[in-house]
Amino acid sequence: MSSALLTLADSRLPAGGHAHSGGVEQAVAAGLVHDPGSLAAFLLRRLTTSGAVAAGLASAACQGDDLARLDAEADARTPSPALRAASRQQGRGLVRVGRRAWPSPLWDALPAAPHHPVALGVAAAAGGLTPRDAAAAAAYLSVSGPATAAQRLLAMDPLTVAAVTARLAPDIDAVAGNSTRSADGSLPADTDPLLDLLAEVHSARKDRFFAS
Amino acid sequence: MLPVVRASGQLAVRRTGPASVHLVATAFGPLGGDDAEVRLVVEEGAVLAVRSVAAAVALPARDGDRPSVQRVLAEVAGSLDLRPEPTVVVRGAHHRVSVTAVLAPGAVLTAAEQVLLGRSGEEPGRWTGTTRVVVDGRPLLHTTVGLGPGAPAWLPPVAPRAYASTVHVGQAAGVLTADDAVRLPLENGWVATAWGTELHSVVRAVEAVA
Repeated sequence: MSSALLTLADSRLPAGGHAHSGGVEQAVAAGLVHDPGSLAAFLLRRLTTSGAVAAGLASAACQGDDLARLDAEADARTPSPALRAASRQQGRGLVRVGRRAWPSPLWDALPAAPHHPVALGVAAAAGGLTPRDAAAAAAYLSVSGPATAAQRLLAMDPLTVAAVTARLAPDIDAVAGNSTRSADGSLPADTDPLLDLLAEVHSARKDRFFAS
Repeated sequence: MLPVVRASGQLAVRRTGPASVHLVATAFGPLGGDDAEVRLVVEEGAVLAVRSVAAAVALPARDGDRPSVQRVLAEVAGSLDLRPEPTVVVRGAHHRVSVTAVLAPGAVLTAAEQVLLGRSGEEPGRWTGTTRVVVDGRPLLHTTVGLGPGAPAWLPPVAPRAYASTVHVGQAAGVLTADDAVRLPLENGWVATAWGTELHSVVRAVEAVA
């Protein structure tokens, strides 16, 4: 493992992820997330759906698959306009910092404002990481940002939230591991209609703290 | 021209109108371990409605825990309306269904599915459904929904027993949200999904946002 992976998954990397709650803000408003147990369940459903999809896309992008094709596959797996916009915003943010951090001709093959997992795969390749590393970063980021958002929104104990995230490690590893060895070569497409609904209700609100 | 039909194994197919066919289960099930494939070809200018005569009741394998599998492959240049009766997945069964629709430019598609986990008063079974729609070579929609005990994202407090989803290509529609139902826009189409406890109210909810 290279320390580039630590940088890529670090919440302090200024890629714009801090502005997004990954659905947590609306889940809190709907009463679905209110304590450590309900937060853990929410993070697990996010990890095993959008996290698994992100891990598959990041891994394939890192491997050198056609990036425009992967970006179209990401669109097909993200029918919610609010979630598409959130992914493309974060993708653009990651390209901005990634180009400076890990200069490489690989960045030039990305479409404008790519989906975040596709940009993440390119960042991993540019940083000398493996597809498995890219998948691990994608899986981890699918829960780490939302966990922090929950901590801020609910004024939860940071130690408790850190423990909730740390206990998801085996699930994060499983998602990352599965993303790189699908039998028929197809990418994961797991979805959670609840997250789509929360994202669309959230984006129509005027009183939100997070962009998504 | 009437639809050309051919079937073997656990499904029979009946022409029930000039542009409609019904699928008829010829045996109990599907049973765990069964693997059924339905191929539909709708040529340019043609219209086809596909229905089924009764709800399918997915049962567990007699031995082991193999899922029952149903794959629907549709090539559409005309207009396809695919709306089978609900699937009920009984306790201990795992039914995996995939619908892959490959559309030519200008093709029209409506594909609906309705799922109930467990018969009345019974523990839920497990259902995994994948929908992939490709239009003119580009993926339009590709999602997999997992429901029932053991599905990783089927977690309380949102662990519905009933689920319904409809995807449409041919006429655009925007975002619409309701309690436990959402419609999302696709290019020249939409996908609507609803979930809850009772199938009849979930079907009403998906129709309300469709």
